[in-house]
Amino acid sequence: MSAHGTTPAVSGPPPSPWQLLVNGILTENPVFRLALSLCPAVAVTTTVLNGLILGVAVLAVQVLSSMTVAIFRGVIHPRVRIPVYTIIIAVWVSAIDMTLAAFAPAVYAQVGLYVKLIVAFAIIISRLEVFASRQPLVPSFFDGLGMGLGFLLALVTIGAFRELLGNGSVLGYHVLPSQPLLFFALPAGGFFSIALLMAFFNWLERARGGKPAASGGSHG
Amino acid sequence: MSEQLVHIEGAPRPRTSIAEIVRIALNLAAVCALGGVVLGGVYMGTTRYQAAARLDTEKRAVTSMLDLGATARVTEVRQFLDTAHGLVLYRARSYGDDAAPARELTFALDGAARGARTASGEPAKSLTPLGRLFVARQGGALAGFVLEGESRGYKNRIRFFVALDSSFMIVGVRVLEHEEDPGLGAEVATTWFTGQFLGRRPGDVAKLSVTRDPLPEDWRAALGELAHTSAPAWRGLHAGMMERERMQSVHAVTGATISSRALTNGVRGTIEHFRRRWALLAPALGEAS
Repeated sequence: MSAHGTTPAVSGPPPSPWQLLVNGILTENPVFRLALSLCPAVAVTTTVLNGLILGVAVLAVQVLSSMTVAIFRGVIHPRVRIPVYTIIIAVWVSAIDMTLAAFAPAVYAQVGLYVKLIVAFAIIISRLEVFASRQPLVPSFFDGLGMGLGFLLALVTIGAFRELLGNGSVLGYHVLPSQPLLFFALPAGGFFSIALLMAFFNWLERARGGKPAASGGSHG
Repeated sequence: MSEQLVHIEGAPRPRTSIAEIVRIALNLAAVCALGGVVLGGVYMGTTRYQAAARLDTEKRAVTSMLDLGATARVTEVRQFLDTAHGLVLYRARSYGDDAAPARELTFALDGAARGARTASGEPAKSLTPLGRLFVARQGGALAGFVLEGESRGYKNRIRFFVALDSSFMIVGVRVLEHEEDPGLGAEVATTWFTGQFLGRRPGDVAKLSVTRDPLPEDWRAALGELAHTSAPAWRGLHAGMMERERMQSVHAVTGATISSRALTNGVRGTIEHFRRRWALLAPALGEAS
């Protein structure tokens, strides 16, 4: 996990909430900067709406799991911390799964299959290991919120890019008379979309005077 | 995994004492117990709403698949097996009205009628539920049937509805619940796959099978329209092509032959089972078979 060396103040005094939010959304955006959880990002982002719904679900799981780990970090045995993180994530994913099925059946019919997969999202367990297990509740909450928002914004951006180019529509409304490049709606186009947007984020980060791209390793 | 990840500050290595192992086991057990309590609580809090949402989805599926109006009456028929007495029970009652009395028909396993009575409340817990079907009447005439079916998919059960009109022609297939892989098996729930069942007649159903041959281009284009056209309107537009395709095999989803077969065999089995059931039930329910 040494590749995560760019995370600010891993075990020192916690950074401010604002720093943590900016870090999750821009500096260490999970998709565009850390390159984490790219498989689901490609799979679900054929439309804005799919990206939005899954993004909200990931945001909720990330915040709840980060807070749970931050609260119980003193009693989790270090040698079984990874299985424990997995159980915590699975509990929250199942809880959200049941809640969606009960109160938003139409949404659930659309993304129910993807919600269960959040258990295996690298970004969530990586934030628990890197941040929430070493920081108190409040900074962990903001770290989870920042990372969740970063993931949500990334999914929505990729979704909008692909829906517009691949299907000529945004949020289901046709804004272009045709389907300009159907390729972008297909899985291979998903990789190209992410690559183009990632390049843009790198340029943006450099323009802000930031560091070169952080590497999150090559996790799924 | 790097050395860094394995080494944890303060943890004894390389040997682990029994006390340490017990502590780890207790730690994991406590986490699992706590997780179980949270999940149990969420389940208890949501199960009522989940059931209501499921009933609502079902009702809308029945109404839209048979294109029913507001005046239609739907009867839900539930089938049970009484293993202790070797009997098959059917309970018919107005759909969605739990307070309405049910008409209970009893048959021996060889199909001989054993009596009928009016029952209220829930059937005894010792009965094994075998499935459900819905009979719709509109303006005094039989409007059609919706059959509930289930089959074993690639990952878990696939639960679906098959709608038949009064001449037993398939007018709709809808997957209600499944856990197939997104992008592969999950495609069997899309209208371009389920649309392939439309227009098949009772005589064609026995031959219903799956092929891996590619879909003819015109048929693919027509099925693509189903996503944004109502099924009755679509049937009017493509009657000729439906007539051509109804004797052909169902074209499997690429890379998901198992899921495709599961749904196709399920639809065939459900319809065949229903035809035998209906021959028994129709006279007892006062319908012509």
